[in-house]
Amino acid sequence: MTGLEHRVQGVDHAAFPTFDPAGTVRFYRDVLGFPVVHSICAAGWGPEDHPDFIHFFFDIGNDDRIAFFYYFGLAPVHDQERGDVYAGFGAGVPEFFVRSRHLAIHVADEADLLEYRRRLDGSAWPVEMQIKHETIESIYTHDPNGYMIEFTRAMRPVTPQEDLDATLTIDALLDVVAAPEPTFGKLLARKAELIVERAADWEPAHAESRR
Amino acid sequence: MTALYVLDVPENTPLATVAAADPAVTVGRIGPYFEITATGPIVIDRRATGCRHAVWYSAVAGVARDSRITQHDKDALRVEPT
Repeated sequence: MTGLEHRVQGVDHAAFPTFDPAGTVRFYRDVLGFPVVHSICAAGWGPEDHPDFIHFFFDIGNDDRIAFFYYFGLAPVHDQERGDVYAGFGAGVPEFFVRSRHLAIHVADEADLLEYRRRLDGSAWPVEMQIKHETIESIYTHDPNGYMIEFTRAMRPVTPQEDLDATLTIDALLDVVAAPEPTFGKLLARKAELIVERAADWEPAHAESRR
Repeated sequence: MTALYVLDVPENTPLATVAAADPAVTVGRIGPYFEITATGPIVIDRRATGCRHAVWYSAVAGVARDSRITQHDKDALRVEPT
């Protein structure tokens, strides 16, 4: 615990560039049904030769938003085949790394997950992968800009002891990466020590689940 | 002494149950964790747990410094004294 009051209220917006505003609007507004909720039409200004741009927003639920920048006259900034329009990767970058960055949007239950699957499968951006295991079920696709988008539902509520476990994981990780040659084995050994030191006295701060 | 820690959440409980079936293994608790101990090796058969891979490969919370994982694959988790 840091002792700092936690006052923030979720994602205001996460912003991404696009070179394909038509595809982007089709994907988010027309296929997924995300309302357009805000836009800014801005003439370029500033010390750089900043192009004129449109900054537009879609509601992703919970009043959170995904936003895009479309810059007039800007050509794609890279020609790599792997990655997305923001970042391209050469053959030397492992696939798991290229596929690591994504936006996961929460849905309440299986019916809602399957509804978004139905919408995507009827579009030019069908679901590429559906994964279900004991704790989550998710579907994945890439939007017209190459950004990986996930829809996910929890198979069970998050338990309070998972907060403790996350705290011990992070404390163990910070200890291990502060020393030379961090490994998974070293992390598990440090975490075992923290479990012995701290888990016996743990009491759930709040019994209710968060989702 | 071999010691392995597993968080007590619903999908992990089969690991503790399967481990406890070995009379040489003791399953106790420290707070919300199962503490699985033995003087010799601890071997947990994955198929006996029914765990699928995402849970199976993320179920270990901690391994004591005098123990080490010598096998963690689709067949079994094996922890032995060092």
